Amino acid sequence: MTMQALNQLVARSIIDPAIVQSFSTGRIGELISDLDFSAELRERLSGLKASSWAEYAVLAYRVVKATERATVRVELPSPAEGLLPEQRKSGEERVA
Amino acid sequence: MIPVTSEERQWFLSNLALGLVEYMGVAEPPVPVEEILKHPPSLYESDFGVVDMYSNLWDATFARPPTQRGSVFVRIDLPPDERRFALAREMLSALITSKHGRAMGLSDFLMTDLRESAEFFARKLLMPETLVTAFRRRKGRLQSVSETFQVPPPVASMGWDESSAALN
Repeated sequence: MTMQALNQLVARSIIDPAIVQSFSTGRIGELISDLDFSAELRERLSGLKASSWAEYAVLAYRVVKATERATVRVELPSPAEGLLPEQRKSGEERVA
Repeated sequence: MIPVTSEERQWFLSNLALGLVEYMGVAEPPVPVEEILKHPPSLYESDFGVVDMYSNLWDATFARPPTQRGSVFVRIDLPPDERRFALAREMLSALITSKHGRAMGLSDFLMTDLRESAEFFARKLLMPETLVTAFRRRKGRLQSVSETFQVPPPVASMGWDESSAALN
């Protein structure tokens, strides 16, 4: 959802000057707080420094993408998890 | 301006195109690109327009005559699908040079690879991801993309491949 929220923000920015104004006046954090980002991500996105809205968007993309990658890594099961019970079981059978 | 990868530039351009497609409220292809140029959002009233021209030099080009609104000058005898693609491609120049586009910082960001960026933007505008995905779900095939989205066959093929890559 987080990348989708960023996509929507950037998409809206081409027809909504309020978004670019929020960025230019240092109030991007207020806008970010209404979107579907975690508290930690919100803080990181609010703290990004960029010379233009386009640059901010790319920096935000990097942050969100890195966060999503990290989340996927955490959610992936270890290959060993699926194998260990089987190994243990076969070992037990041999002992019996 | 920070160095930007091609993937990052394409992500940004896809979202600009998405914003315009959502503004138009397009629910099915073809995307009415000439309509938005003729009846733009108020933000782009002095930037969007279409002027038919007799020319053998180019298919379309964006220009902003002094004290007049910017317009895409398009060759009058282009086939409809090529005309749509040329208008969509030149729309990026209209956006970049508009007051809002300058406020966004689009020129620094997109001027270096303008032609490539404009063609990518045009594909995403005329073949939005959501509509291509819906087309695929209805068992749409590459052979009918050009006709459905009213884009030239090479554009249809490229847009289809880009959409496939996005799915993977």
